[in-house]
Amino acid sequence: MESLSDASRRAFELLLSGNAELWGIIGISFSVSLRAIAIATPPALLLAFVLVYTRFPGRRLMLSVFNTLMAVPAVVVGLSLYLLLSRSGPLGDLRLLFTQTAMVIGQIVLSFPILVAMGHSAMAAADQRLWETALTLGAGRTRAMLTLLHEVRYGLLIAILAGFGRIIAEIGTSMMVGGNILHHTRNIPTAIALETSKGAFAQGIALGMVLLLLAFALNMLLSVFQQHEAPAT
Amino acid sequence: MSPSLSFFDIHKHHGERTILAVKVLHLRPGEIIHLSGRNGAGKTTLLKIIAGLQAPDRALIGEGNARITWQRAVTRLRRQVVYLHQRPFMFDASVADNLGYGLRATGVARHAIGARVREALDKAGLACMAQRRARTLSGGEQQRLALARAWVLRPRVLLLDEPTANMDAQSRQQTWELLGSILNDELSMVVTSHEASGPGVRGCQRLHLDQGRLSPAVATGARPDNIIAWPMDTQPYCETGH
Repeated sequence: MESLSDASRRAFELLLSGNAELWGIIGISFSVSLRAIAIATPPALLLAFVLVYTRFPGRRLMLSVFNTLMAVPAVVVGLSLYLLLSRSGPLGDLRLLFTQTAMVIGQIVLSFPILVAMGHSAMAAADQRLWETALTLGAGRTRAMLTLLHEVRYGLLIAILAGFGRIIAEIGTSMMVGGNILHHTRNIPTAIALETSKGAFAQGIALGMVLLLLAFALNMLLSVFQQHEAPAT
Repeated sequence: MSPSLSFFDIHKHHGERTILAVKVLHLRPGEIIHLSGRNGAGKTTLLKIIAGLQAPDRALIGEGNARITWQRAVTRLRRQVVYLHQRPFMFDASVADNLGYGLRATGVARHAIGARVREALDKAGLACMAQRRARTLSGGEQQRLALARAWVLRPRVLLLDEPTANMDAQSRQQTWELLGSILNDELSMVVTSHEASGPGVRGCQRLHLDQGRLSPAVATGARPDNIIAWPMDTQPYCETGH
């Protein structure tokens, strides 16, 4: 078994050499997760808005459910989706199991509660005068909503980054409904698990570095946005 | 001249507690109402109901002989009435963009917006700050910007919730001057203050709100001799007696 330093050196070489397989895996990871977050964000933020600005029975319960689902284990989502999409499952005829589409669906399910809960927090924290000012200056509800989204944009970006950070690194759903098929559904986390189990640490470490770098970049962006979240006076 | 906008039987409760029980309130063009009352008397609630921002339990809106419910009138109220918070909210944009917000929202033609914004900037004495972020302005400047942002929409009714609270003397003076300069025969204004003897205009209608009920201010202890003179009170608009 190679030492950690040897494995790390080879990992760097792999990344810098432009290894097609490695970069293909990274590409699949980003493609799936970006599609998932792009699809999940608009309805999640709309729902967050509805939860802040409308009153209906079950609203608080709904919010509690989304807060709880933020921490749902990815493997549980994967298992549920697997049962739905497997050939004998109710959605088996769609033949989505072990496809990128199934992975996207899984990651949408994972990111949706984060987007709703954090989007809700960002919008609920907005100054009440914002909404009233928009309305009294003649804005309709849609324009007032767009104004609100613009005013709390940094909070919403934080929600989106947190959702993306959650799904780019998750393994449970991708493994169960993606199947870890090379060039097709193998993404960074499933590849790390596979390469480590084979004893090929260099590729695992290289992919881990990408995730770490991504986590660092996301955190930097989060701090930048949090600094911009200056309250209105 | 536009007809009066009248409100009848404005009722608002919170549980068992009566917040508002106002029988009638007429807003006449060219007239200022100075509305006084203690903190929590219901002044802000009343203004927000008039502005269509807060729903009453019941209220009727009258224009001429017609009376309709608040719920049916709310869209029209929002188009005709502008409410200004005690501490105005500034959008995270430039002074000029803040001024143009309502014009864009109400569908004013793009080519007309620039000219009206420039006019409003001059009116408020903010022309040199047009591109500054609105939130970097001082409290007094923000208040003037909020007034100009309302004025540029040419509303029928302007509601000002304690507009000079916590202002220094100079900012207060500038705000009163701006208020005086924007009043015209088409506009009615309601200005609130928690002091019965607060700033107002000699000769204008002075009302007092106590436990949700409206009455003439003098009858509830206001001291007319202590009314702070409106800097523009030499102008005829308050003496016309509509």
